[in-house]
Amino acid sequence: MSKEMVKEEAPSSSGVVSEENRPFGSLRSVQWRINLGILPSSSSSSSSIDDLRRVTADSRRRYAGLRRRLLVDPHVPKDGGSSSPDLVMDNPLSQNPDSTWGRFFRNAELEKMVDQDLSRLYPEHGSYFQTPGCQGMLRRILLLWCLGHPECGYRQGMHELLAPLLYVLHVDVERLSEVRKLYEDHFIDKFDGLSFEENDVTYNFDFKKFLDSMEDEIGSHSNSKKVKSLDELDPEIQTIVLLSDAYGAEGELGIVLSEKFMEHDAYCMFDALMSGAHGAVAMADFFSPSPAAESHSSLPPIIEASAALYHLLSIVDSSLHSHLVELGVEPQYFALRWLRVLFGREFSLQDLLVVWDEIFTADNSQLHRDSEDDESSSFKILNSHRGALISAVAVSMILYLRSSLLATENATSCLQRLLNFPENINLKKIIVKAKSLQILALDSNVSSLSSTFGGAYNCSKSAVVRGHSLSSDSVSPKTPLSLVPDSYWEEKWRVLHKEEELRQNSVGKQTPSGKKRWSEKVKLSLSRTESDPSPARAENCKKGHRSSIRRSLLEDLSQQLGLEEDAEKGGCLGASNSEDDHCIEVLVEGDNCTNKESICAAEERCESGSGTVVSDENSSIFSEPASPGSGTNDHENDTEKSSVASNLFIDENDDHQQSNLEDSPLPVSLPPEDVPLNSLHENESSGKMVSAMKERRHLSGRFQWFWKFGRNNVGEETSDKGGTNEAAKSPNHDCKRNTADSLTAGASRNSSSTSKGDAVDQNVMGTLKNIGQSMLEHIQVIESVFQQDRGQVGSLDNFSKNILVGKGQVTAMTALKELRKISNLLSEM
Amino acid sequence: MVLVLALGDLHIPHRAADLPPKFKSMLVPGKIQHIICTGNLCIKEVQDYLKSLCPDLHITRGEYDEETRCLETKTLTIGQFKLGLCHGHQVIPWGDLDSLAMLQRQLDVDILVTGHTHQFTAYKHEGGVVINPGSATGAYSSITYDVNPSFVLMDIDGLRVVVYVYELIDGEVKVDKIDFKKTTATTHSAH
Repeated sequence: MSKEMVKEEAPSSSGVVSEENRPFGSLRSVQWRINLGILPSSSSSSSSIDDLRRVTADSRRRYAGLRRRLLVDPHVPKDGGSSSPDLVMDNPLSQNPDSTWGRFFRNAELEKMVDQDLSRLYPEHGSYFQTPGCQGMLRRILLLWCLGHPECGYRQGMHELLAPLLYVLHVDVERLSEVRKLYEDHFIDKFDGLSFEENDVTYNFDFKKFLDSMEDEIGSHSNSKKVKSLDELDPEIQTIVLLSDAYGAEGELGIVLSEKFMEHDAYCMFDALMSGAHGAVAMADFFSPSPAAESHSSLPPIIEASAALYHLLSIVDSSLHSHLVELGVEPQYFALRWLRVLFGREFSLQDLLVVWDEIFTADNSQLHRDSEDDESSSFKILNSHRGALISAVAVSMILYLRSSLLATENATSCLQRLLNFPENINLKKIIVKAKSLQILALDSNVSSLSSTFGGAYNCSKSAVVRGHSLSSDSVSPKTPLSLVPDSYWEEKWRVLHKEEELRQNSVGKQTPSGKKRWSEKVKLSLSRTESDPSPARAENCKKGHRSSIRRSLLEDLSQQLGLEEDAEKGGCLGASNSEDDHCIEVLVEGDNCTNKESICAAEERCESGSGTVVSDENSSIFSEPASPGSGTNDHENDTEKSSVASNLFIDENDDHQQSNLEDSPLPVSLPPEDVPLNSLHENESSGKMVSAMKERRHLSGRFQWFWKFGRNNVGEETSDKGGTNEAAKSPNHDCKRNTADSLTAGASRNSSSTSKGDAVDQNVMGTLKNIGQSMLEHIQVIESVFQQDRGQVGSLDNFSKNILVGKGQVTAMTALKELRKISNLLSEM
Repeated sequence: MVLVLALGDLHIPHRAADLPPKFKSMLVPGKIQHIICTGNLCIKEVQDYLKSLCPDLHITRGEYDEETRCLETKTLTIGQFKLGLCHGHQVIPWGDLDSLAMLQRQLDVDILVTGHTHQFTAYKHEGGVVINPGSATGAYSSITYDVNPSFVLMDIDGLRVVVYVYELIDGEVKVDKIDFKKTTATTHSAH
């Protein structure tokens, strides 16, 4: 008996988790079992120790039954050997799948797979994990789980989820043995100085031994007064004793911390973790290659979860997000391992236990969404606190590596950094940050937002990709969008905008290559010349009201997304004012390939005389400036966001008072009347356009420019109908409104339109000139944006962003130069 | 849990073309750990086929074998059991239990596997087992008239061996099994 009666101090639980949530703070295995839903939580049903013991015992019985059933020993006759088994079926060579031998061989196959992984499990903690006893337990547990869940089978990584669970059980058992040593009296039946445990039932009563032990007892009697009754003990010790009392509820089977039943308990914990215990996040989903049954996306859950991760990252730190996206670092490259093993490979074992403490404390119950979110695009993983925390931890890990990730310029080294998470980390910092992000993650999962995010996510992604590719090789065919399958996001949008979809289906797909856009543009401008402007006007007004809903969506969207989205939205919004449905849909579709489609669609709808001709040029032109600019616009987010937000607000009022937009607080907007007149009647030089553009740039940001550009295009378009129409159009108030923003692009249109006014024959040439000139405009816009942004550096939080600005600017400038050359060529044609 | 396949007297290609298809479908690689073959295969191709089922193949020489380098008798230890292998044409009278017991004592084995008679027999004798797996192809025999294709699968598990006998009777596979327990563990003392 230990003579130093040093009272065991209850180790305080790691400071991050609050005390009141963890009644069994120091007993991780019990706490985790409560969190995972195996044991009743003490708060919910005010369950006593007895209840805990009973539930434990039941779960152990279940496991034992399972084990007996599934672990096949073909030698042991199944039902006591009463009936002789049918040997034809039951012989070792039988091909019959039902035979016990068949099952035995299948189990052997599974065991072999499991063993392959187990032999490599935690070699650094091999003293525990590589012992045959532990390996045997792990093997059996995994085998039985996989046999019980044949649809999942065994996947690599499951063993890593199981190992820490077994470890914490082991730790607790050791703790128990420590406590036993100190508080032996509470555990052992000791009467008359003889401990019944140690002797045989029929003990040989050895008097000599008796005397000796009496001596010991006398010695220990002096200490006996220090032994406290159960109630006087530390509550923690008390709990331990009660949990392990052999005479408590369910007897030995109910001893909650029991070495004998470690396997059973580990199985229950593993099962609960994998199946999610009726919660939202079930680890087993992450191992399945096929989409979950009730998921709305067609993606496997792990891909969806990785996308959720990036989605959260894009909200929190869009520059890092777009940097990663630009490099082509798909989230599942690293998130697969992170999520499947719940960060088991990223942290050391002790750190991992702390992280899992946090994760398991978070509640896993499915957060109920409103019914209208049924067709939603919300991420399944973010549907619970636990899932949100998991995503938040992952994002906070990515953010931890922020500086090193931003510094690399190729995907491989990024992945290397992500996959080799550093050893010495400030875990507390990561966890605290994760908790703050968790709230954000939960909020961001609201359906309407998430769907827009879906589109916007893809929008930004593809825009960035386009920008990147364009900057690398000026007008070469763009790199295929091989990132997150477009269909997922498209689907989201289609749900929201079914009507547009129907109309869209008539349009063929258009790859978002720069050149193609131009050809489309040419086509459209040609078609435009034929369409009747006036119905367009009328329709525009009518459709104005429809856009408001979408604008609110877009508003939300823009507030959260980077510039690319904003730009696109802006462009689309601008267009939408004239041609609501289609343009917004264009925006909504994000910069998908289908975005281009819808642009085409929008354009072609104009053809059909719906009067939405306005959108044609807008969209096509928008797509162009979007791409070269997108690559450089990571840093412009903040400024753009604010401007966008204000712009969007302006847009809402647009429906019937488009002129009011001009009255908006934005200082840049020129009075409506001035510009349209200018644009319509003047053959402005591109220089003038540029200057006008630059003004706006300085003040309102690109979004606004696009928006206004769209409006201008409306006016332009009308002017394009023929020089003769110009006069007719100018008095047209709508036209005026639309051109009120008087983007220089509009002016360019005018110039081109005047040139076109000559003859239809020259329309083509004019259109090409249009293209060239619009390119020039865009280039100048972007340049001005750069200059503007340099001045706006102060508004950015991160200095690293400035560095990016510099880099981005350089690449953008080179891209712009190339674009300029091309535009020159075109305008010379 | 060691599965040992015992077969012999195939007489391919002289007296039989191939194993019966039902037997062939049962013999898949991966399940069996050892194959012991009494002899009279007769050609190398059969040996290669058996090797494809299991890499651990033991053969003894039968009188019609074309592979002349095989031994006449072989002993091996699997688990707790010592197995002896011989074709059996050397032991006269052919198929006589006492003579075979003499051979068993000579080889000092627990399980003696011999062939040549093309008849399945299994005797428990003097603390050991004498097994004749018969002819796996049902080849013609000068000794007996009724030859059914048969072979033997032994499941050695610790001190217990379960002998499964597979016979092709009237086109159907019939399985029978015999349990045999060894009383003492094998002592590895050198004689």
